[in-house]
Amino acid sequence: MSEDQILLKVEFGGGLELLFSNEKKHALTLPARVPADNSTSPAPSEKETKPLDIAYLIHWLRDHRLKERAELFMENDTVRPGILVLINDTDWELEGEGGYEIKDRDEIVFISTLHGG
Amino acid sequence: MSTSCGNPTVEKDALMPRRRKFDRTKTCIKCKDNQGNVTIRHAVYCKECFFPMLNQKFKRSLEPTINPIPDGPRKKNLYPPGNLLIAFSGGLGSTVLLDLVHKGYVASRKPREDADAAVRKKDPKNEMVWKEVHVCYVEVCGAFPAMRDRTEDVRRVVESYDGFKFVPLRVEDSFDTKWWESVGGKPDKGELRVDITNEDLILLPSSNATSPLSALHTYLSSLPAPTAIPTTLQTLTRLLLLHTARATSSSHFLFGTCLTSLSVSLVSLVAQGGGFNIKEEVQEDWGGEGGRQAVRIVRPLKDIVMKECAMYAWWRGLEVVGQEVWPDARQGIGGITKDFIVGLEKDYPSTVSTITRTCAKLAPKETPAGICTLCNRPAQGHVQDWKTRISIRSLSPSLASPQQPSLAPYLCYMCHTTLTSKSSKKPSSGSSSAGGEEGNEVPLPLWVGARVRRMEREEMRDKVKEFLLDKEEEEEGYAEPI
Repeated sequence: MSEDQILLKVEFGGGLELLFSNEKKHALTLPARVPADNSTSPAPSEKETKPLDIAYLIHWLRDHRLKERAELFMENDTVRPGILVLINDTDWELEGEGGYEIKDRDEIVFISTLHGG
Repeated sequence: MSTSCGNPTVEKDALMPRRRKFDRTKTCIKCKDNQGNVTIRHAVYCKECFFPMLNQKFKRSLEPTINPIPDGPRKKNLYPPGNLLIAFSGGLGSTVLLDLVHKGYVASRKPREDADAAVRKKDPKNEMVWKEVHVCYVEVCGAFPAMRDRTEDVRRVVESYDGFKFVPLRVEDSFDTKWWESVGGKPDKGELRVDITNEDLILLPSSNATSPLSALHTYLSSLPAPTAIPTTLQTLTRLLLLHTARATSSSHFLFGTCLTSLSVSLVSLVAQGGGFNIKEEVQEDWGGEGGRQAVRIVRPLKDIVMKECAMYAWWRGLEVVGQEVWPDARQGIGGITKDFIVGLEKDYPSTVSTITRTCAKLAPKETPAGICTLCNRPAQGHVQDWKTRISIRSLSPSLASPQQPSLAPYLCYMCHTTLTSKSSKKPSSGSSSAGGEEGNEVPLPLWVGARVRRMEREEMRDKVKEFLLDKEEEEEGYAEPI
């Protein structure tokens, strides 16, 4: 893998996969540096950039993998309340939430707690 | 200068400051050794310490309720007087509950040999606490067209555990005499219906037999406001489960309501006029009248937040079947409350437990005047008089003559409101769809008719008791308090 690309695994659980073509596991390759404004469309080169982080990943998943009802996944530029995020099996609240800089071969899990209960 | 009516200075200051998501370090607060994997209400736990911590919370909540008279937290012997029923919805909480009960009380324990555990009063750790464990699921797809039936998905999950007996029900069973007889109800002498357009809810005898499903549809479509539908379905489901608990000789009946869900149900209960039953929403003993064995309803996940449930299910690899979202449920009182509480839990995780702690301190001012025939919970008396006093209304005088039997005196405030309070957006469309040739006559769940007739009989007996020479023999069909 080249230095400007990051390989990561994303998994959905708790019924969240239903919004993502019912596919639980996704292997992704994303650029190591991404637009600072989390815009996921092809960016002009002069745009300000930042290292790939969870906040960008959330936007990217919404724009490129989500198939329906974005409001059930995102709210106010982050995941909707009731969705837990694990970074390498650790709660993202311990890792800096959206600001966590994703490393090569990280495993990110999104779990919905709202699938009935 | 701002033209707004608000006070910007005060509003800015009124924002509650957010605490850090974890208090000090990322090290587990239990073992003080491992790096933490999860934060629960600002406390950090590693994966190894998370499971014993959750299991301890579960047992600490459940075990003091198992013996008929609580022994306090330092109990030693568990001797429940009956079996166990678990309410399973397929949702996150009940999935976790099923696994915790199986791990703690069924797996690796042999069947209980002594039939009369209450006499023996000992709890060998290698024997099951309850002799039998039933898991009951109520399918509500009959209430909504095009909703998927999940019974088989749920059956697969329940049957993946050994030692559980699966009891599938359907919400329309509330109107099915076969189900009613199967749980020990006596066949009624003519079905009771109610005129839902009249606030007195006049009772009418009816011999028109309809299928349980069409009776359910008539009942739901005659409700005066869309928000009454989720409330009604919850009541029907709860009563179906309670009667099943009695039919399976269960002394304990567990719900998988976690702290987050409990806070949602407490706030929405109060919003719907059920504040009188706030204590019963947490724990209650049901159906102990007439010397019968009461069913104790317990919510052993009431100290566990939804996040803990989700982490447990994920790390244990549990399959969460999920519940179908009911149409309009998100716009209902329950849905709006859930959105609010889940958002609150994300931003201020310790605030949600404040709701349940505050509710635990509340008690109704009046003593209950009786039991509501519909929801079977304690009810305050004179609901209609109170409603007349607190609301400005311009209703025409009641058309009910004193001789006409009516359901209203036998209902609690919340059930009466659910059946009669019209939506402000949909004036008086109420029962226009109640339908068919029966006009405004709406069938009632079978337990309502049985209880109304028994109460009428008791009232009649009270009136004439001084003229009676001998104790009147129980009339067949109403002898058993159902």
